[in-house]
Amino acid sequence: MSLSLWTLKTGDHCEILGYDDALDEKYRIRLMEFGFHRGESVSCLHSLGFGAPKVYRVSNTVYSLDDEVATHIMVKITPSHA
Amino acid sequence: MPKVLLMGSPNSGKSMLFNRLTGLHHKVANFPGITVDVSVGRMQAIPEFDLVDFPGTYSLQAISADEKVAVENFERALVDPDVVQVLCVIDATRLEKSLYFTLQVIRECVRHGKPVSVLANMIDVLDTHKLSLDTQGLSAALQTPVMPTSARSGKGLEAVISELKADHAGMGSEYVELPDEQLRAKAHELAHRFGPKGDVLIRNQTRLDSIFLHSVTGGVAFFFIMYLLFQSIFTWSAPLMDAVEYVLSTMADWIVPLISNQVARDFTSDALFGGIGAFLVFVPQIFVLTFIIGLLEDSGYMARAALICHKPLRLFGLTGKSFIPMLSGVACAIPAIYAARAIDSPRKRLLTYMAIPLMPCSARLPVYTLLIAAFIPAGTALGGLLGWQGMAMFAIYFFGMFCGLLVTALVSRTSKDHYNDLPFVLELPPYRLPSMRPLLRNSWNRSKHFVTKAGKIIFAVTVVIWILGYFPNYGTDLGASWLGYMGHIIEPLFAPLGLDWRYGVAILSSFLAREVFVGTLGTIFGIESADEHMAPLVQHIQNSDLALGSGIALLVFFAIALQCVSTLAILAKESQSNSLGIKLFVGYFLFAYVAAITAYQLTNFLT
Repeated sequence: MSLSLWTLKTGDHCEILGYDDALDEKYRIRLMEFGFHRGESVSCLHSLGFGAPKVYRVSNTVYSLDDEVATHIMVKITPSHA
Repeated sequence: MPKVLLMGSPNSGKSMLFNRLTGLHHKVANFPGITVDVSVGRMQAIPEFDLVDFPGTYSLQAISADEKVAVENFERALVDPDVVQVLCVIDATRLEKSLYFTLQVIRECVRHGKPVSVLANMIDVLDTHKLSLDTQGLSAALQTPVMPTSARSGKGLEAVISELKADHAGMGSEYVELPDEQLRAKAHELAHRFGPKGDVLIRNQTRLDSIFLHSVTGGVAFFFIMYLLFQSIFTWSAPLMDAVEYVLSTMADWIVPLISNQVARDFTSDALFGGIGAFLVFVPQIFVLTFIIGLLEDSGYMARAALICHKPLRLFGLTGKSFIPMLSGVACAIPAIYAARAIDSPRKRLLTYMAIPLMPCSARLPVYTLLIAAFIPAGTALGGLLGWQGMAMFAIYFFGMFCGLLVTALVSRTSKDHYNDLPFVLELPPYRLPSMRPLLRNSWNRSKHFVTKAGKIIFAVTVVIWILGYFPNYGTDLGASWLGYMGHIIEPLFAPLGLDWRYGVAILSSFLAREVFVGTLGTIFGIESADEHMAPLVQHIQNSDLALGSGIALLVFFAIALQCVSTLAILAKESQSNSLGIKLFVGYFLFAYVAAITAYQLTNFLT
């Protein structure tokens, strides 16, 4: 089932399925430059609550994304690698 | 002169490499977007070469204003015959982030016949954690020399110098026809093949983030760190300030009696020691403030603070990325306005420009310190843990920030612009132990710059104020001097704040630069006291019958008014709009005046 990246909780892992059409083209490109490719594994490292941006790990880099971006990235939850 | 370009993604250690190779001391910090302009320096090892440092960018498809600076300058440099070599800096600890941009740079360099080398920086971090990067394999795959370097330790820089003289014909030709889409896939593949294996670095980062980004401890840590910042401005700098004051006072007591000419003696005592000396006392605070902000930037905490502040700042129309320029504005509005280039959303950048002049900059610090010392007792509470003066400083700093947020909230709610409103994506750098030498050097340079820049204005204003106040009656009656005459004309403007003409003159002179207020008051009280032994300015203010309400009104006025010619000039340049500076100047003056009258009336009512 397809969910948005924003729905992940701390410790969740997922695989990126793609982006929805509402996300601006230049942001979609920038996210792919950061490593958020289709098929890439992403994990949610921290979720502060209160609507604050969440912290995601992709490859060896850590990014913080707010709901205005993360809700447009479609993912499927995958089992933990740990 | 032949030029070497230094390119790289944000926070790859590019500026530190630039400093290493040129011997210059440009600001470095551990968060993305610290370099927002092009810098040029002569290479120490090859003096016939200039090294050009560009702002960091994630790709040649620019989104933010600082990226546009890098990309446009890079495109111009590609057709510049003086450019003999391009050095592309990558972060060896986070390869994938840097490799796509590197491949784009290689492709463009090959297309334009420019030699390119790749510097795999931060190799010392990999060594510390027993990780490795396959530089030979990566070099073969990129068809470009890849050299491991550490800007921090200087490791590998000799090889870079040798490489600059080598011949690199035919390099990277495999990528010359590849479109961006395929370069992205290639970067992903190369990072996985040649990058460091294991996630020890991420695990270390995550461990600290679990404290600093926790929903409870993260908030507590944030407020504690911000509180320490303001307390330390007073407590750490107090001994240094006392020392400067002692030296100046001793020098005045020693030098002034040696001058036989009465006018020269009065000028030295009132204008030099009274006016300029009163301003120099506050330089240690500028040093401490810059040092602590540098400490936060270099440790990697600043990006976490931006994340924590994002949601609250969004309520005021801003973004978490506004936090870094706004906190830089606590030191000085000018670098803060430059730092706002890293905000990719044009609308939020504009709102940040509006908030920055209301941040309590270091030029306000001498004024705040003087007035707080004059009106707030130096006692402590909770067994010495809380100082009343520190609390007052915290309150006036908070007031300035609150006013900034109030303005942006009002503007963002009354003028919607969804087209220029972009979402929040922020790279979180790893935590690092700050390097003390660059931090101390940066604090020293900032203090020196403050003295030399403001000192010239203060000296000129002090001389003018002294001449106007001393003549025509040779300092015997300040009220009957030219300055007194002018002061009485403008007195009605400041009477609603309970201020007499002397404070009115000091406020008017402060529209050149805020800190001039202190020097002007020092000169005026110096002439008035006609005392050869220099008394502290605080004592003069306490003896001048200034009411508490007027003191608070002055604090409120200085917290809001935009009294800085340099800030207005930089605002016009960066926003590409002359009208923005003028609107902010007029708007903030009216806001400051009304708020100061309100504060004066309220204090009088309550006391």
